[in-house]
Amino acid sequence: MIKISDLQKVYRTEEVETIALNKLTFDVKEGEFVAVMGPSGCGKSTLLNILGLLDDPDGGSFLFNGTEVAHFNERKRADLRKRNIGFVFQSFNLIDELTVFENVELPLIYLGVKGPERKQRVETVLDKMQIMHRRNHYPQQLSGGQQQRVAVARAVVNNPKLILADEPTGNLDSSNGNEVMQLLTDLNEQGTTIIMVTHSEHDSRYSHRIIRMLDGQTVTENILV
Amino acid sequence: MISNFLIIAWRNLSKHRVFSFINIFGLAIGIAASLLIFQYARFELSYDRFEPKGDRVFRLEQDRFNNGKLSTQWAAGAAGIGKLVKDNLPEVESYAHLHGTNGLVVNYKDKEFRENNTVFFANDAFLPMFGYTAQKGMQAESLKDVNTAVMTASAARRYFGSEDPIGKVISMNKKKDFRVTAVVSDPPPNTHFHFDILLSFATFIQMNGPGAETAWGWDGFYTYLLLRPGTDPAAFEKKMADLVHSQWGPQMKDTKEGIAFHLQPLRDIHLYSNYMFESETNGNGRAVYFLLVIALFIIVIAWINYINLSTARSVDRAREVGVRKVLGSYRTQLVGQFVFESLLINALAVILGLLLVIGCLPVFNVITGKQISFSLLAEGWFWLVLTGLFLAGTFFSGFYPALVLSSFKPIAVLKGRLAGTGHGALLRQSLVVFQFAASVVLMVGTFAVYRQLRFMQTLDLGIRVDRTMVLKGPNVIDSTYMAKLSAFKEEMLHEPGIVSMTASTEVPGNKVKWNAGGIRLVGSDPTRVQQYRVLGVDYDFMKTYGFHFLKGRDFSKEFRSDSAAVIFNEAAVRQLGFGQPGEALNKRIEFWGKQYTIVGVVSNHHQESPQAAYDAHIFRLIPEVTDYYSIRFHGDENHSEAVMQAAKRQWAAFFPGNPFDYFYLDDHYAQQYKADEQFGKTFGVFAVLAIFISCMGLLGLASFVTIQRTKEIGIRKIIGAGTPGILLLLTRDFVKPVLLSFVLAVPVTWWLLHRWLENYASRIAVSPWMFVLPALLILVIAMGTIATQTLKAASANPSRSLRSE
Repeated sequence: MIKISDLQKVYRTEEVETIALNKLTFDVKEGEFVAVMGPSGCGKSTLLNILGLLDDPDGGSFLFNGTEVAHFNERKRADLRKRNIGFVFQSFNLIDELTVFENVELPLIYLGVKGPERKQRVETVLDKMQIMHRRNHYPQQLSGGQQQRVAVARAVVNNPKLILADEPTGNLDSSNGNEVMQLLTDLNEQGTTIIMVTHSEHDSRYSHRIIRMLDGQTVTENILV
Repeated sequence: MISNFLIIAWRNLSKHRVFSFINIFGLAIGIAASLLIFQYARFELSYDRFEPKGDRVFRLEQDRFNNGKLSTQWAAGAAGIGKLVKDNLPEVESYAHLHGTNGLVVNYKDKEFRENNTVFFANDAFLPMFGYTAQKGMQAESLKDVNTAVMTASAARRYFGSEDPIGKVISMNKKKDFRVTAVVSDPPPNTHFHFDILLSFATFIQMNGPGAETAWGWDGFYTYLLLRPGTDPAAFEKKMADLVHSQWGPQMKDTKEGIAFHLQPLRDIHLYSNYMFESETNGNGRAVYFLLVIALFIIVIAWINYINLSTARSVDRAREVGVRKVLGSYRTQLVGQFVFESLLINALAVILGLLLVIGCLPVFNVITGKQISFSLLAEGWFWLVLTGLFLAGTFFSGFYPALVLSSFKPIAVLKGRLAGTGHGALLRQSLVVFQFAASVVLMVGTFAVYRQLRFMQTLDLGIRVDRTMVLKGPNVIDSTYMAKLSAFKEEMLHEPGIVSMTASTEVPGNKVKWNAGGIRLVGSDPTRVQQYRVLGVDYDFMKTYGFHFLKGRDFSKEFRSDSAAVIFNEAAVRQLGFGQPGEALNKRIEFWGKQYTIVGVVSNHHQESPQAAYDAHIFRLIPEVTDYYSIRFHGDENHSEAVMQAAKRQWAAFFPGNPFDYFYLDDHYAQQYKADEQFGKTFGVFAVLAIFISCMGLLGLASFVTIQRTKEIGIRKIIGAGTPGILLLLTRDFVKPVLLSFVLAVPVTWWLLHRWLENYASRIAVSPWMFVLPALLILVIAMGTIATQTLKAASANPSRSLRSE
């Protein structure tokens, strides 16, 4: 599904040049659950940005489902993103002014899904995440675990092929964290590919494979399954 | 998608009430102010735009020269010019010829009115040229024959009620009768030329001789030309000059006089003409455009508030932008969303602005002295301007913040890496500088207008205009008039409280209409003639008005020779060629074929508002004048009901058949300041509005930045900063742009003030204080505004602000 080779990303300021990704190469097959680990500053987030089509690489190749997307323009990237990729963040990133229902509905609006279908799809996914009873609440009225469930619901409502999770349990206590990891596992079992950046050895054990990074390069790959 | 935009926009508006209020209310004030000013300007600019042939109609303005020097400029020029150009220049399709009257008493049966500047002699070309058609009677024949008259519908109603006016006879001063041949519609309010009754010019010629159509030295005749289509005005003016030169030049050469005519486009008269004998006080084109600029200032200031507050608050919205981008929003969709929010705010502002217009219209009318009615809401242009303001506002205020907001990099903002409020800070500061520079210009302007007004009102006029009542003299008189006047005066002086009374051709506050040319020293070069403004007065004029004699004496009954005596003022003495008043004393002058002796010289006085320069006046003894009776009385008040009642009683006894018309001179004189006062008030109100909106924006920014810096303030306090230090820190950033705005505004204002003051012969000096005081005032207001926010933050307990981190 994902094939990156010799991927490079360099951040330049006036005086310093930081190599974030240094000829990074790996594949992710459809249906895989991959954890990316490594110390702060090793390039995990940069990688996630590029995989999520939020940033473009300075060099190398990025094949998404066989299409070279490394040099897509912003609009094409947005198109590809909204159809294929769901995001889950450490800090949930729900929009405070929208209710649970409206937050989850948002990706469908950008996909151009019609109102009645939207309603049905949002309700289905809220039901699945067991937060249907909170549909008219605002994010601030929910606990952290509930907020992350809403964020996961939002990530999956458009049935993406790939979910990118950036430390999804980082702001949660262990029981809420486990719940979220279980949700991701369930999604993966239903066929969604998941790439998760994490610091947590515990969480990484939910994955099939762990890619460890250092200084913009992969150092080891552990296959767990 | 739109409903999602609407939801989030609405929730943001209600969440941040202060910002929403500042934006919406500021924009609404801007919109309301602009609409009102537009309406005012539109009315002023609409003058004489309804005449179908208006683009081909010109009035002839006349310049007179003495020895090659411009001496007088006339709205109503020489009697003969119209016929001269019509007979000789084929470009002239027709010419309208008019001559005014003053204070005529018009009778029909028992109905009797004094017509003040509303009756004109006019030839038959006038009505068709100005597009008037007869509502009743025959248009074609009106004003052709002698002793015929045309009335407006409202004048006809006043005299005849429901009777048919056609064929009825009205009399002027009970001396001359005119038959009404037609009734025309009333002149619209937006024309420079209003009349109630027109009398045929043929009658004027019959009464005054053929010179009324041919004389080059007899002024006071309005001449309008209808030029044939395709005539080039500049080329025509040149031809006209050649014609005048060849026809009248030789006669004028003897006295070294000169005359020139200029075409005034009909549509420019109201705003750009201010000469002798204007048929009514015209508007001021510069003031109109000035107000339009102020309207623009105010609306731009409101737009700037929106831009500043939205970009400053962009941090608040950054996360939303990031999320939306991650979820697949295009940048264009985000731009659309934020422009939509601006649209919503502008729409709310438009509604509020409309309510403000409706609420403030009566107040606005009082300030500007105009009569704008609510019917403006039914006019298409009003909604056009409103829509224009709405769209322009949405675009100008919404577009830049939308671009800024939609440019955020999603991952950066989602990870909280968007640092501080640095984004667009320079632009925000520049815009604040502009806002306050505009406020300073308006504020200094307001101060200056008021100081100039105050200066004129308290200036020594050289005469007294207080405690004086003026009667308009009788028009219906007979051979016993002089005896009656003397007896009336005698009786009036016996009334309690009355100090003195005088009859004269003019009173202070009037433009002197008697302009006499051809005056020179006896024995001097006959080519060295000059024009003077002449006042006919009786023996008590100088005493009643308190003129100050520099040399010589007042008119006196003890000198029988005084019927050939004149009194000069300083300006007239100088014009005659003397440096010192004493040198002119007992000199004799040639005045229209007779000789007069200068028996006294008085100091200059402000016959008109001090806006006008001192004029060269000759006072001539004419005890039998009929125009005005000035009555001066004792007391603490400038107005006296008792004196008025006494005058009315005596008037009825001595001058029956003449309407009793009076005014108090202080009011009459102050009328001249009305335009300036209104300009000052309008200016002041809008200046205050501009400053208010600017400060609202500043308030919003201060509150926002203070919240942003809460943590910094907390840290600074923990390491030992005191409240004053924090206050200084926070205030400094805001005071800087305000101070910079002063620096920028001063030269502009300085220049504008000098330009404006050039209109006044007696004017205040431009001093640094005129800038410092308003600037200090604005600075204090701005600091006070900021302090409401910063004081709170600076005195807050630091542990609280840091705990939340």
